[in-house]
Amino acid sequence: MIADFGRITLYVAFTVALYAIVAAYYGARRGDDRWVRSARNAIIAVCPLVALACALIITALVTGDFSIAYVSQVSSLGMPTYLKVTALWGGQAGSLLFWNLLLSLFTAAAMLTKWRQQKELMPYVIVVLGMVQLFFLFISGIVESPFVRNLTIPADGNGLNPLLRHPGMIIHPPMLYLGFVGMTIPYAFAMAALMSGQMGDNWIKTTRRWTLVAWLFLSLGLILGGRWAYDVLGWGGYWGWDPVENASLMPWLAGTAFLHSVMIQEKMRMFKMWNMFLVMLTFLLVILGTFVVRSGVISSVHAFAQSAIGPFFFGFIAFMFIFSLVWITKRRESLRTENQLVSYLSREAAFLYNNFLIIAILAVVFLFTYYPLISELFTGEKGFVGPPVYERALAPLFAALVLLMGVAPLTMWYRTSIQRLGRAVLWPAVASTVLVVVLFILGVHLWPALLGFWLVSFSAALTLWEFAKGTRARMGKGENVWTAFTTLMARNRRRYGGYWIHMGVLIMAFGIVADGLYQSETQIRLTAGESVQVGGFEMVFNSVSRFPGADDLLITQADVDLYKNGEFLRKLTPEIEFYQRSGQPMTIPSARSTITEDFYVILVNWEPTTADAATFRIFLNPLINWIWAGGIVFIIGTLIAAWPDREKAPARARKPAVVAAGD
Amino acid sequence: MADVTWQNTDESAVLVKPRRNRLMFIVGGVALIAAVVYLVVNAMSGSTQLYKTVGEFYAEQSRLTGRDLRVAGWVIGDSIVYTQIDAHNSRLEFDIVDDLSNPTQTLHVVALNEPKPDLLQNQAQALVEGRADANGVFNANPGGLMLKCPTRYEEMAPEGTGHPESIAVP
Repeated sequence: MIADFGRITLYVAFTVALYAIVAAYYGARRGDDRWVRSARNAIIAVCPLVALACALIITALVTGDFSIAYVSQVSSLGMPTYLKVTALWGGQAGSLLFWNLLLSLFTAAAMLTKWRQQKELMPYVIVVLGMVQLFFLFISGIVESPFVRNLTIPADGNGLNPLLRHPGMIIHPPMLYLGFVGMTIPYAFAMAALMSGQMGDNWIKTTRRWTLVAWLFLSLGLILGGRWAYDVLGWGGYWGWDPVENASLMPWLAGTAFLHSVMIQEKMRMFKMWNMFLVMLTFLLVILGTFVVRSGVISSVHAFAQSAIGPFFFGFIAFMFIFSLVWITKRRESLRTENQLVSYLSREAAFLYNNFLIIAILAVVFLFTYYPLISELFTGEKGFVGPPVYERALAPLFAALVLLMGVAPLTMWYRTSIQRLGRAVLWPAVASTVLVVVLFILGVHLWPALLGFWLVSFSAALTLWEFAKGTRARMGKGENVWTAFTTLMARNRRRYGGYWIHMGVLIMAFGIVADGLYQSETQIRLTAGESVQVGGFEMVFNSVSRFPGADDLLITQADVDLYKNGEFLRKLTPEIEFYQRSGQPMTIPSARSTITEDFYVILVNWEPTTADAATFRIFLNPLINWIWAGGIVFIIGTLIAAWPDREKAPARARKPAVVAAGD
Repeated sequence: MADVTWQNTDESAVLVKPRRNRLMFIVGGVALIAAVVYLVVNAMSGSTQLYKTVGEFYAEQSRLTGRDLRVAGWVIGDSIVYTQIDAHNSRLEFDIVDDLSNPTQTLHVVALNEPKPDLLQNQAQALVEGRADANGVFNANPGGLMLKCPTRYEEMAPEGTGHPESIAVP
């Protein structure tokens, strides 16, 4: 019953989306507004239809309707209700339906905001969004339907993958999805500008705003994913250059490049073609990422997981690629640059370097991620590139980017003199050099660490100096520090939001350099009562206990006490969780976390026969909390930059903004 | 843009004809691309691994001995032995095969000081990074054991969940 109803709902949604595309195109060509409005209503109507399909599958999950294959694959009777609901994105078919839902929500939002201002673009926005929706509805309705029935109805389901039963895992995938799906909207507006020939300022503003929103979610998804890996996977790290991680990093990088270079287009009317290309690249990387994550084409060694969706995704990517290129070529005249770079020491040149570095990083990540396929194609042997190779190749590029992050905001449009730049960087350079000397005296002797810390603190000092300059300028008008600082933010959210984001990245970079170069790892077997000394800490092993947890969980938990300088700090309880029905264990670390370092311990082995001995792996992760703290600053910055403008800002009447440089 | 500087006193800011200007950017761009290519080649040289199945390994054993490999296979549960040598040292051994129903060619894997991964069970899919020695024993690199659990869950995990299983288990 639910299965049939669900399938029919998706077919109806497919038909409605198809109608919207045809009606919008026809209406736009004929100049007939009634067709366009009808198309708009149709594309909005896809949203409740897809929501209904989702509601149906959630009902089946919650009530345990195991006649549906998807339900028996990802849920079980014993699972708590909230996990049954989140099982919507716990498997392939459900997650694709969830994609559909988010796309239809974003589409409805795009239709309902600023329709009137974007009237010429909207029919084509409907066409492009409709095409993407149509493709995903086709996948969800026919190729990978969540409404397929089981031939024999099992008494209970497999249950959700234990790795997904973590609070972080409940929010991390939807955030990434929101980021992924959200990138479709700026792409649709960009394509609509090309198709309609309305290449004015309108589309670029809308595209930038939507990109920022999607980028916010994508950033959140990436940060949460790292945190989840650190908390749950128990390997002491947060990022492993895994193909799936890279699949979400690559569109993020392309989006980042666009968010920077779009400013040159707005200020200088340059790089128009390049920006179009970046919007297209971001979107295509999103679709490619959505596919790669599911297919296992890269990570699996055998072709054991050949998915039915593969050829369709490749076909769709190829189609959208050609579609975009055709329109970009067609409008190449209006994408001509209106200005020339006149100096390599200018704001626009700095953005150019920024784009070069980000795209270089993207290209390297792309090459390494797809190296197994590329090498097989050219040499017949499947090669693989591990994390150390990524780090060796990318470290200099990231270092250059960090430097640019600090220096670029000091440059002026058109050109900047080297003396001016020299004066501006003098004191931050002195301050960061002093810091590095202090670090050296304190025992930091690795040259990559010293260089890394110098670059990061230099750029951080420059960024803080920008805040200080702006605040001081306002204080000169009689405002107190706090008012000056907050008004500065409020008056120029895009600029200062950007600096907050830079600060967030720099704080993270500090943590990444420290943890990357100074993480230590020890493995030790202890019998009850024994202790181990690690980096100034003493860990005493007391006991191991075993007890049942929620659902079918069996928990083996070690009890250890942590001391420093003879003083008791706290008890730690690393554990091994064992899901009995599925036979899958998980190692859950336990950590004492401070701003300077994490003492992170994993229970790696415990044999019940020798009950009083256990093997532990201990990681000392210096400054790892800086990564999460930087992440929070980063997100705050993005919120500041993305916060919607008031339509008519009354503040403008009072005083012109008094910010320093030529932004 | 009120305080844009136009002073051209510094030679770096003096720029003349657009054509020369353009040439400079092209030359600079090519140099930068060359630098990136150098970084990539330098990082990759001698550091890439080859993916092989157990059968493929034996087919070219002499060539592949001593080379950095990623060998994939299925774990034979009975072969798993974990020995605690002393407080700091342990030894983990197991065999992998290409086809569990026809386990003729088995590769013996040895991992020193590696904990026994959660997912190391009979019929698990193992991916081992390491090098084979002259005796045909495959010595895993530190952190070089990766396992996928016997597929009781959907083969293709969704967004963000495919990777944990392929990440090195400590």
